[in-house]
Amino acid sequence: MSILEVRGLTHSYSGNTPFVNDAVSNVSFSIEKGEIIGIIGHTGSGKSTLVQHLNGLLKPTEGTVLLENEDIWKSPKEIRKIRSKVGLVFQYPEYQLFEETVYADIAFGPKNMGLEGEELENRIEEICKIVGVKPEYLEKSPFDLSGGEKRRVAIAGVLAMRPEVIVFDEPTAGLDPRGREDVMQIIKDYRKAYDATVIIISHSMEDMAQTVDKILVMNKGKIEMFGSVNEVFSKGEKLLEIGLNVPVVTKVFSKLKSMGIPVNPDVFTVEAAIKELERLREGDKNA
Amino acid sequence: MDNIIELKNVTYEYTEEDKVYAAVKNISLDIKRGSFTVILGHNGSGKSTLAKLLNGLNKPTFGDVMVDGINTKSEEDELKVKSLVGMVFQNPDNQLIASIVEEDVAFGPENLGLEPSLIRQRVDEALKAVDMYDFKRSTPHRLSGGQKQRIAIAGIIAMEPACLVLDEPTAMLDPKGRAEIIETLIRLKEQKGITIVLITHYMEEAENADRVIVMNDGEIIADDKPKEIFKCVKKLKEVGLDVPQTTELLYELKEKGFKVNTNVISVELTAKEIAKALNLEEK
Repeated sequence: MSILEVRGLTHSYSGNTPFVNDAVSNVSFSIEKGEIIGIIGHTGSGKSTLVQHLNGLLKPTEGTVLLENEDIWKSPKEIRKIRSKVGLVFQYPEYQLFEETVYADIAFGPKNMGLEGEELENRIEEICKIVGVKPEYLEKSPFDLSGGEKRRVAIAGVLAMRPEVIVFDEPTAGLDPRGREDVMQIIKDYRKAYDATVIIISHSMEDMAQTVDKILVMNKGKIEMFGSVNEVFSKGEKLLEIGLNVPVVTKVFSKLKSMGIPVNPDVFTVEAAIKELERLREGDKNA
Repeated sequence: MDNIIELKNVTYEYTEEDKVYAAVKNISLDIKRGSFTVILGHNGSGKSTLAKLLNGLNKPTFGDVMVDGINTKSEEDELKVKSLVGMVFQNPDNQLIASIVEEDVAFGPENLGLEPSLIRQRVDEALKAVDMYDFKRSTPHRLSGGQKQRIAIAGIIAMEPACLVLDEPTAMLDPKGRAEIIETLIRLKEQKGITIVLITHYMEEAENADRVIVMNDGEIIADDKPKEIFKCVKKLKEVGLDVPQTTELLYELKEKGFKVNTNVISVELTAKEIAKALNLEEK
């Protein structure tokens, strides 16, 4: 069953002025429940504009967004309910921390949904386990935490609303490798625990290859491709043409292929590369 | 003088909740004039603190930092030090202030009190150096991240510093933007002879450097040519650094008994190493 469907979505900025500009134009796609989708595209390709429609932060100029087969703008007054069902974690979410304590910051969303008392306590305890915020941190000021910890608290604030669909806009930008691994693990753990659908915007083709089921490629406000990791990364030339890339290991394999070595060039992770080269080595021995 | 910057037994301490922490611990280091140095380290390794020590934004708790022979502790030479060593930070949006590109680049030279004709000349030259001359009348907020960061670099270049220190200038950029910045830095070093100190946690950005310094926990744990540094994959991973996929692949292959060298980093050379190893085994 498709949980989220976008039909003919167009968004124009600066409408009715000479500067009118379609950031997203006539985009349609649908996402199945439980899928993990990657969105890639160069800066300015419309990725962020697109995802801000998914929870009703932006209203389509044309087209519709359907959540569980219902138009999210059917009753505009209830749009806030949509926002707790579809969570959006912005780029550098730690810049949006504002409360006096970590606890208050994480509790802000669920409180606004009407949670209180024990239910609220439980909710926060649960989410802190998933994102790895230690209980002794809850009374600290979020501004005394390190960059990686701040980001975890900010993510916890969104996840505490327990959204069914969660969108991350470059969740690992600016983090070091350990921080990146932690955040990717949080995403996987949350998805597993709540059977959630996940959408990730990222510039790291390597992260995408390792994490997602399908990739949606944006170019100049339109969908250029939408398919499995395999389908998308096997079109390296097209990706390069629109300012994107393939994982580095894929480039090495294309090079090997062009040198006349009989490798399967559809290799997107280091793990798969090792397997393929070992296969080749074993094959040589048997020959 | 051969060295533009010299650090002598530099320690930098800060206090948090009545405890004293050392972010940089007894570092001695010379940066050669006209060289391209990359400082690698994970978040919290002390690399940003070190960057700010290089132009006197941070003053050493112990030890001395000399810039072109001037001690950064000297109050009367403070402006001199800052004009010799320019800084570029992570977020381009925090560094651009004007609504037109060329006005933004002119901000520095204007504050140096230069003649208008000279300002014009400096701005044009700086924009050409970062390959953004065609955008001089554009609005910064309509540019891509990589373009904005190049404008930020032009703003510093226009003050004609001897040395440019960049603190993770590519962290917020897409792959294309990242490549643009690295190309720009190489050009500035080669054509203008500007000393470059690039602080990053992306190891592949160190490929074209003359020298790579690896920081961990406030100390220098390695200091060598890129090729030598890239050999120590295990050590780099242990200190939480980003190892390029090519290096990781070669390292894993070596562990599995493939006869490959692990000190290459480009796609081309990696493919050659693998091809060589496969052929060797055929014999």
